[in-house]
Amino acid sequence: MKSGKISRREFLGVARNVAIAGVVAAGAVGALAGYLGGSSAAPPRTVTTTRTVAGAAQTITATKTVTQTVAGAAELLKVGYVYVGPVGDYGWSYGHDRGRRWADEHFGLPVKSFYRESVPEAEVGSAIETLMDEGAKLIFTTSFGYMDATAEYAEKYPDHYFVHISGYRSGAAGNAPENMSAAFAEFYQLYYLNGLAAGAMTETGVVGYVGAYPIPEVVRHINAFVLGANYAYKERTGKNIKAHVNWIFKWVGPDDARKAAIALIEEKNCDVLAFTEDTPAVLQVAEEYQKKGRKVWSFSHYSDMRDYGPNAHLTGQIANWGPIYLDFYRMVATNSWIPVDIWARIGDYMPYRWRKPVEQSTAGQPEGVVYLAPLNPAIPSKWQLLIKQRYEEMKELLFEPFSVEGNLGEPIRDQNGEVRIKAGERADHDMLWSMDWFVEYIEEPLPKV
Amino acid sequence: MIEWIESVLALTLQVGTVYLLASLGEIYAERSGILNLGLEGIMIMGAASSFIFTLAYGHLAAITVSIIVGVLMSLILALMAVYMRLNQTVAGLALTMLGLGLSGFLASPEVRKVILLALNPSLPEKFLAIQEAPKLPEIPVPTLSEIPVIGCFFRQNALVYFSYAAAPLMWFILFKTRPGLSLRSVGENPAAADAMGVSVFKVRCVATMVSGGFAGLAGAYLFLGFQPFWQEGLTAGKGFIALSLVILSTWNPLRALLGAYLFGGVEVIQYRLQLFGLGALSPYLLAMLPYLVAIAALVAVSIGSVRKRIGAPASLGIPYSREE
Repeated sequence: MKSGKISRREFLGVARNVAIAGVVAAGAVGALAGYLGGSSAAPPRTVTTTRTVAGAAQTITATKTVTQTVAGAAELLKVGYVYVGPVGDYGWSYGHDRGRRWADEHFGLPVKSFYRESVPEAEVGSAIETLMDEGAKLIFTTSFGYMDATAEYAEKYPDHYFVHISGYRSGAAGNAPENMSAAFAEFYQLYYLNGLAAGAMTETGVVGYVGAYPIPEVVRHINAFVLGANYAYKERTGKNIKAHVNWIFKWVGPDDARKAAIALIEEKNCDVLAFTEDTPAVLQVAEEYQKKGRKVWSFSHYSDMRDYGPNAHLTGQIANWGPIYLDFYRMVATNSWIPVDIWARIGDYMPYRWRKPVEQSTAGQPEGVVYLAPLNPAIPSKWQLLIKQRYEEMKELLFEPFSVEGNLGEPIRDQNGEVRIKAGERADHDMLWSMDWFVEYIEEPLPKV
Repeated sequence: MIEWIESVLALTLQVGTVYLLASLGEIYAERSGILNLGLEGIMIMGAASSFIFTLAYGHLAAITVSIIVGVLMSLILALMAVYMRLNQTVAGLALTMLGLGLSGFLASPEVRKVILLALNPSLPEKFLAIQEAPKLPEIPVPTLSEIPVIGCFFRQNALVYFSYAAAPLMWFILFKTRPGLSLRSVGENPAAADAMGVSVFKVRCVATMVSGGFAGLAGAYLFLGFQPFWQEGLTAGKGFIALSLVILSTWNPLRALLGAYLFGGVEVIQYRLQLFGLGALSPYLLAMLPYLVAIAALVAVSIGSVRKRIGAPASLGIPYSREE
């Protein structure tokens, strides 16, 4: 699990390559954008596309030159989406539908997209069939449970393109056909920044987390949040943060999230609550306490939720899936498909990925695929500056939450006191993707399921 | 310790009120011989209409509309089960599916926007997209709300207070008045009641409408009084828990009061136990608790002798026809 570690020096080398590749890619994207924005009677020309897929430990840069002849008007691209929930859920499926509309809007060529919502995982096959009947050439399946069926259909229909969200099977990983890619918008860096805000604001020194399921994705988000909270709180007071986790065993369950949040506040005196649940219920609870005169804070999740807690909202993590989708639209439209396994973090899908000075930081503004929700002015300016600095540094992967730098120079220990990440180490993709331990500051054991 | 009890009890009352309101009406329907399995669908329609109408016209209008919508929905069941003498289980489940689908459609972003603009063209832009509505305010009763422990009974919203009053009132009407006697006799032996001059059709229709009205109100309470965020399918099986509560309460409104708070308490405690480290042992077992209680109640009632002693309505679910 800990294999594939690299030293900081090597990492910087990788980061430099990424930056260079980024510049090349930006140029190529610019050229492509200019090309796409041109008149429909464009003369035949050669397009070079460069794609960069960066992880902490692995960097794959694939360059492919495609010569194509475009004569007359571009062909209409038809894209199909399969959603696991209703588009009105305000969380996951709503986010994907917003991404779909964003990609359609920014594509610049004729495109028609359509979707099937609330598709049970067992019925994804027939949903894909009906989308193909309508002419969809590119199909996005947006739930982990759709993964195997998507791979099956990719095998069956090699002339169609498939992108699966939140899974690990793709042509790039070698465990699916070449016409299948994988993509995910990763939040753990943003959860760490939320944690910094939490540690800066907490008066009780106790923070809470309403979790959906004890799976690696949620566990690494909880750990990142708690590490951030401990960083800021310990720097402020010299004491370690205390963190509590309450599980609801649902992705969508506003009334359960409410009960869990109230238990954290009233039972354990938590005054900052983060959550993984697809509605603003926890933020609404925090807002109710604020109105009663008790300072309780919470965050946005997936969408900007400030309207649901104008006083209680500190910041949060927001995803715009649009740029990922747009990338695939372009690949299919220009016949330049390469199977990829995209893990989009801060800095990815931005026009350029080098950091800005803190004063000009874009933290809190929409950019790229994952970005920070606007910062509440109630956060002391010292901590706002640190949040912005870390946000900018993470664009270049110069800072990693799961490293001793993220924990005030201390090694990161689990609840048994075992050192999981020591000086000079960073968590890599594999470690993050299989995280099954809690950091030492969390009081409850991790449920085994 | 006192603070802890108050904290748990206050939330228990809020959770239990959903079940209480829904089961009070259902008791009347079942006492008259009509099994209203459409509870879940009516509740969610009540929640959806309370959401839309609160944004357009405010709380009072929203609650009124939710009750009306509930009554209208139950009229469909009355038509099918009382007049057409269809299978009540099938008719009720059809109503549940209708409610779940229709509420999802009516409250979906685009359709909701059209409805809201039709209801109130001067509505601010912000209200057209938002998925929450202002919550019902808590109205603390002076002095009573300051008593330790039981003070939390008097720091609730208007619908919770209404449920405190409704349970004894509905018990009184059912067991101590002549209309209540007619209602119970229709559920026990409709032929005899008919011979005595009681209109079986009329009584059953009214009882079904009462259950619909209360279910609509329960949905409105769930949304406005407990968790004000609209979500497709937000009742999440609460209607069916209320149905089992009716049996647990042996068709008695006062026992329903206790049962509702028992169910509410189990749900609240499960999130407290987790923080004592108990959740990690078997989280799914804790999540199962409310359903275990419901199953135990159903099993107890299915035993013949128990059934006779607790007085299940003898004609529950059996359509009545005069010609037979």
